[in-house]
Amino acid sequence: MSAVPAPARGSLGPWLLLAPLMVFLAVFFVVPLAQVAVMSVSDPEWGLGHYAEIATDGFHLRVLADTFFTALVVSFCCLLLGFPLAYAMAAASPGWAAVMMVVVTMSFWTSFLVRTYAWMVLLGTRGPIARVVEWLGFATPELLFTRFSSTVAMTHILLPYMVLSLYGVLKRIEPSLPRSAASLGATPSSVIRHVVLPLAAPGIVNGLTLVFVLCLGFYVTPILLGSPREQMVAGVIGQQVEEFLAFGEASAMAVVLLASTLVVLGLYHRRFGLDRLWG
Amino acid sequence: MARTGFSRRAALTLGGGAVAGLATPSFKRLRAAEVLHVNTWGGIWERAAIKNLFEPFTRDTGIEIRPVSPVSFAKLAQQVRSGAYEFDVTTLGAGEIIRANQANLLEKLDNTDLVKSPPFAGAAFQNGASSHAFATVIAYQKAKYPNGGPQSWADFWNLQKFPGSRCMQRYASRVLPIALVADGVPMDKLYPLNISRAFTSLDRIKPAVRTWWTQGQQSQQLLRDGEIDCIALWHARTLELIDQNQPVEIVWNEAEIERAYWVVARGTPNRDNALRYLEASVRPDRVAGFCRDSMNGPLNPAAFNFLSEAEAARMPTAPAYRGKVFEQDILNFGGDVNAATQRFERWIGT
Repeated sequence: MSAVPAPARGSLGPWLLLAPLMVFLAVFFVVPLAQVAVMSVSDPEWGLGHYAEIATDGFHLRVLADTFFTALVVSFCCLLLGFPLAYAMAAASPGWAAVMMVVVTMSFWTSFLVRTYAWMVLLGTRGPIARVVEWLGFATPELLFTRFSSTVAMTHILLPYMVLSLYGVLKRIEPSLPRSAASLGATPSSVIRHVVLPLAAPGIVNGLTLVFVLCLGFYVTPILLGSPREQMVAGVIGQQVEEFLAFGEASAMAVVLLASTLVVLGLYHRRFGLDRLWG
Repeated sequence: MARTGFSRRAALTLGGGAVAGLATPSFKRLRAAEVLHVNTWGGIWERAAIKNLFEPFTRDTGIEIRPVSPVSFAKLAQQVRSGAYEFDVTTLGAGEIIRANQANLLEKLDNTDLVKSPPFAGAAFQNGASSHAFATVIAYQKAKYPNGGPQSWADFWNLQKFPGSRCMQRYASRVLPIALVADGVPMDKLYPLNISRAFTSLDRIKPAVRTWWTQGQQSQQLLRDGEIDCIALWHARTLELIDQNQPVEIVWNEAEIERAYWVVARGTPNRDNALRYLEASVRPDRVAGFCRDSMNGPLNPAAFNFLSEAEAARMPTAPAYRGKVFEQDILNFGGDVNAATQRFERWIGT
């Protein structure tokens, strides 16, 4: 008898190991999700009424468009701020890179509600930014309760996801490549444009997709910091459930949001492959 | 109101309730003889209830009371349906108690003293024991209005006389009546609400409303940071700021009062003890102490015999404010509350 039997093709082993996770996902994810889908067409009565309402009344479509626009803006702000940071981290010595990594991930350890309240203080009319503007001789700016303030806070909250996914690809770029380009006469900006950016493209797309999808589900930050006109789909869903106990309408909205998110992920998958999402 | 804080006990009693639900009838009786689970808002609210309501009840009856938080209306419905009780008694606001009673989630109070020999008028309402009330009041920055700020909702709406930013709660059933008072409807003729007129009135103040608050904590911070000049918020939140020496003024005139009730979850095995708790909870000395410590106003008028003048001045239900304040009347709202809320949300977003 040989010491270790070779795993037979089609053996049950891996499936048995996976079984607990599969059962967990089925019970706590697939079943509730299916319930939501069923409720969206059955509560209070069977039919596609909720979907028809979402498609025809201007309110829901506007909120949906608003949500997608906000997510898009936040994703690109994260990219603009996150790229230089991730680039510096990748180029830094291991010690500095570790320090910067801690600083970036530190905001993960703070509750996002606390971070949101912190922005209320920073951007407030008696906050440091307003004080500096006053000191320069301008009128006190009203920064809070605008699209600007909510975008700043959401960018801050989601920035770590962008930095981490960019850092992963930038770190793997062979250091001799930019160096050779420079030695052949490329200016620093053309090194970035023609060597670094193309090699970092997967990380950029990963980061944008991650931030975009996460941002779609935000609502507390815009309600606390944003303009009252700004409404996110997740907030509307939450209100339908908590205040109106309107589970059917809320479910239909949730299904629409989920479907739109899947469309984004689907486009990503066709172009880049989903397996690369986590680097 | 302190509606924050989560008690570890909630998790423990959830387990305990489940065990009790599965246990034999004899075990249930044993538990019933000893313990009552009462739902609370946590924080100072819970501490005030333990000291002034729970501990005296235990001294009188030997029944131990375990607080359970947070308050959840959805859980009340779920308990009655499933028969597994995490709490026997909970507290509900005016809108919720009507919905709960319509959905048959509450034990009847017909055989209690609250109905048979009511200690005060309106002691029982929709199968709830009338406990206390809070109010939505006007508060303003003293520095912004050194000669005195808005003294009424009409002043609050008057942006020429009192320029500056405004803020109100994102809560239609509280904001719509205020909008009508601002528009000149007498406080005793508000209900049923003329909802369209309320929205027309709100249109006038909308440009000045920089944000609509959703959490008590947030309303307080907006005032503390000086972000908002003039705000409609809960009286307890305002008093807290004043106690902290913040330069803020509170206006009791035209305060909008909202009642809160104790109710018994229908079908609980501890029904009899729970009903005894409800009777005891509205006793004037006890509700007076509870309201003093939790910054509410007692609904039992006799409670004011146990309160000093200074203490009563901090309570929206005090005799001194009678005639100057008005009450919510959700039973007579003037339309579907949910539909009005939907309309309000859409109105905010456009």
